[in-house]
Amino acid sequence: MILAIARKEFLDAWRDGRFRIAAVVVVVLLGVALLLAWQQVQRTRAEHAAAATLERENWLNQGEKNSHSAAHYGVYVFKPVPPLAIFDRGLEPFVGTTVYLEAHRQNQAAFLPAQDATAMRRFGELTAATGLQLLTPLLVVLLTFGALAGERERGTLRQVLSLGVRPRDLVLGKALGLGLVLAALLLPVALFSAVALAQLPGGDAGGSWVRLAWLGGAYALYLAAILAVCLAVSAVASTARAALATLLVCWAANAVLAPRLGGDLAQRVLPTPKLAEFEAAMHKAVQEGLDGHSPRQQQLQEFAQETLKKHGKTRLEELPFNFNGLVMLESERLAGKVFDHHFGRLWDRLESQDRLVTWAGLAAPLLGLRSASMALAGTDFTQHRHFSVAAEQHRRDFVRVLNEDLMNSTAGGHHGGVADRSLWEKLPAFRYDPPTTAHALRAATPGLMVLFLWAAGAWTALLLVAPRLKPN
Amino acid sequence: MIFPHLFRLELRLLARERAAWVLFALFAAALAYGTWNGARLAQRQREIATVLRQDSEQFQTQLREVLGKQSVDPKAIAGRGTTAVLPPAPLPLLATGQSDLSPGHETVVLWKLAAPADTRSELENPSHLMAGRFDLAFVLVWLFPLFLLALLYDLMAGDREAGTLRLALAQGITPWRWMARRALARALPMLALAALATLAAGLLDGAGGAGTRLALALAVILAYGLFWVALALAVNAVARSATNAATALGAAWVLLVLVAPTLLNVTVETLYPTPSRPELVAAGRKASGEAEKRGGELLNSFYRDHPELAPPDQQADFAAQHLTVQSEVGRAVEPVREKFDAQLARQQTAVARWRFLSPAIATHEALTDLAGTGYWRHRVFREQVGGLRQAVSEFFTPRIHKREPITLGDFDQLPRFEFREEPTGVWMSRVVSSLAGMLVLAGALSAWTWRSVRPARLGLLSA
Repeated sequence: MILAIARKEFLDAWRDGRFRIAAVVVVVLLGVALLLAWQQVQRTRAEHAAAATLERENWLNQGEKNSHSAAHYGVYVFKPVPPLAIFDRGLEPFVGTTVYLEAHRQNQAAFLPAQDATAMRRFGELTAATGLQLLTPLLVVLLTFGALAGERERGTLRQVLSLGVRPRDLVLGKALGLGLVLAALLLPVALFSAVALAQLPGGDAGGSWVRLAWLGGAYALYLAAILAVCLAVSAVASTARAALATLLVCWAANAVLAPRLGGDLAQRVLPTPKLAEFEAAMHKAVQEGLDGHSPRQQQLQEFAQETLKKHGKTRLEELPFNFNGLVMLESERLAGKVFDHHFGRLWDRLESQDRLVTWAGLAAPLLGLRSASMALAGTDFTQHRHFSVAAEQHRRDFVRVLNEDLMNSTAGGHHGGVADRSLWEKLPAFRYDPPTTAHALRAATPGLMVLFLWAAGAWTALLLVAPRLKPN
Repeated sequence: MIFPHLFRLELRLLARERAAWVLFALFAAALAYGTWNGARLAQRQREIATVLRQDSEQFQTQLREVLGKQSVDPKAIAGRGTTAVLPPAPLPLLATGQSDLSPGHETVVLWKLAAPADTRSELENPSHLMAGRFDLAFVLVWLFPLFLLALLYDLMAGDREAGTLRLALAQGITPWRWMARRALARALPMLALAALATLAAGLLDGAGGAGTRLALALAVILAYGLFWVALALAVNAVARSATNAATALGAAWVLLVLVAPTLLNVTVETLYPTPSRPELVAAGRKASGEAEKRGGELLNSFYRDHPELAPPDQQADFAAQHLTVQSEVGRAVEPVREKFDAQLARQQTAVARWRFLSPAIATHEALTDLAGTGYWRHRVFREQVGGLRQAVSEFFTPRIHKREPITLGDFDQLPRFEFREEPTGVWMSRVVSSLAGMLVLAGALSAWTWRSVRPARLGLLSA
């Protein structure tokens, strides 16, 4: 019986001209979004690769100069684009693409693509992910709002139930049939995503296929939850019109209001500091120590005394190496501790804001899905942080090598002599290993849990509502 | 008005609908929250700007005092930098626009003129930037039409479905007049709420001379509302049932508000690809590397970056050489940077040309323009900061080369930043053309509806 009902619903939906037009529009939009994103990822990668090559040449060909001068010349590194950005660009437009690594300071990633975009970017971006998140739920609403309420209004529900069909079977049959319609629509999108990923050079790097499979699962949970909610509303609504109104309000609350309200809530509960305050605090801590009571000059003087004692000398000039180099190593180490503390706290704060918004997804499932989707695609904040940390590590390594050169290969008491290409070559080019799939899954877990709870809750509600289906 | 009683009747009917009151309350709450949210953000930005301005005023006072007693080395003043601050927007509560994304201040330091532009903005969570703000512009552009459509989706389609249309028209009124009167009566409270909120936002926080902007903002919002009213009328002229009308209007909202802007964004970025920042950065670095190599040995020394540690008699030489290299880098990078900027301007010009594709785009652009938080005002700011860079270079460079100290006589000529607002005519022409475009669209839709619902067309006369 369930299968017969499912078959009827499936055919009905296909024959509905209104739905067919909407479905074609949505699927075409998703396809276009994938195609354009695929091109965009390749273009960005080519640009970053060209810039990285040029930058490496700049570094190697900087000529003969003082090694500390080279540390100030510094290096720029560029953030690689993860393959699944073709599906969900996530935060990529709103985080920096470029980090300037230089002596003495840790810089934040700069140049947000959105800063170089038109104001239209603020309306949101057309990606396969946003299409699936915002537009497919509308298709589900269109498919389901009349499924039960409409039959009740027309009086056919009474007839069907009078034939002895169990209300639960009727509801499940409809759910199955409409679910299959959705699956039939979205399967091509999934296939197209897979083909696009396969055609992307290096597309299979970093466990992309596993991530894509999980993405499929996350979106399936989301749509399954929405399908069940819509059918439940249609089951209790007195008229199709009332069901449509209720569902559209829910859609707007979930898709339009929730992301903005979630952001407001997070900023209210867990505010971020102002940029000027953040930088002033960090500058102060560099000068006066993290505890505020150990001025840098004093720490470095103590360090000089200790060094002299360790080597049994009385004057810095007598040391077997250039003390200026060692002091720079030490002050970089001290500053590094400050940077780790302050940036660590800032980034922890941003991550806890994001977690709060994800759990707010218990009220609006889009928030859970958005978070899981970005995490799985590798475009969420945790993965941006991973890059920032790797870039900072590279900065410290590179400054350390230069300072060690200053310490060991120049005469004491000087600020160093001139180094050349042989030293520049000692510094490897920046190589970044993106986070593993395990990292992505960990980051996606809260979102996936929210989605799971929604799907479980919505289907339970539907099963509870179904037996009490009223014929009129 | 020929049928004022109909208008009054519809208002009275509306007042009896409980759902309508719920919608009014929700819309009013959204407007209030949006205004409040915008006010908080505006407050935060004003605080930041005030601190920066006070800092720089304090420095000016101190400098004046010092200069009164003795002359000062130009390097010392140049090293502190000149801060450019974009003054608070004239109507900040109306729209956040780009103000949370584009930096509203920049410090220009002589020694770093050739470095890539500083684009740091406030410490915002990127997910919030992505989601957008719940400000007044959001409520007006996104939610306002939804609330209007919820009241207007059934102007005639329902009566046609129920067969009561003939009865309603039996009072001797044409379908067009009947529908239009009903629509205006039902839209009136929403239009009034939207206008009130806009007025309140302007009165709560509007800079001097914001009156024109406020008046135009009201006009834009009313025109936007009228467009949606006209669309509801047009759909009702053809829809066979209230559900059909609701679905069609919902789809129109999704297409015009959600899909059209993102499609326009994608199209513009495909037609005029955003130039590559990383390539610009790397090109600048290449130029500076080459210039440095020519800059002589002296420059490749430690003191280039720490002139304060150089022997006093040599400091000036290092500074002078640094400036020479820098100006060479500036010249080499300039064409690349100009191409970059031109491409960005081309993108936004394309958006401006195609904004009539959706009244939501036109309204959003107009509101951010009127608020003073839009793309163009921030662009003008960046251009004027460019001017400041030049002024800083022109003032200090010759004095440093000539080892000429700064005296009290120079104080008034020190480079300072004073933001000059975009000429009124320029932004006004953008806003007025948006306004005119929307009115034309609403007019065309209404004319079409008027033709489609003539009694003969509706088949009301034949039977």
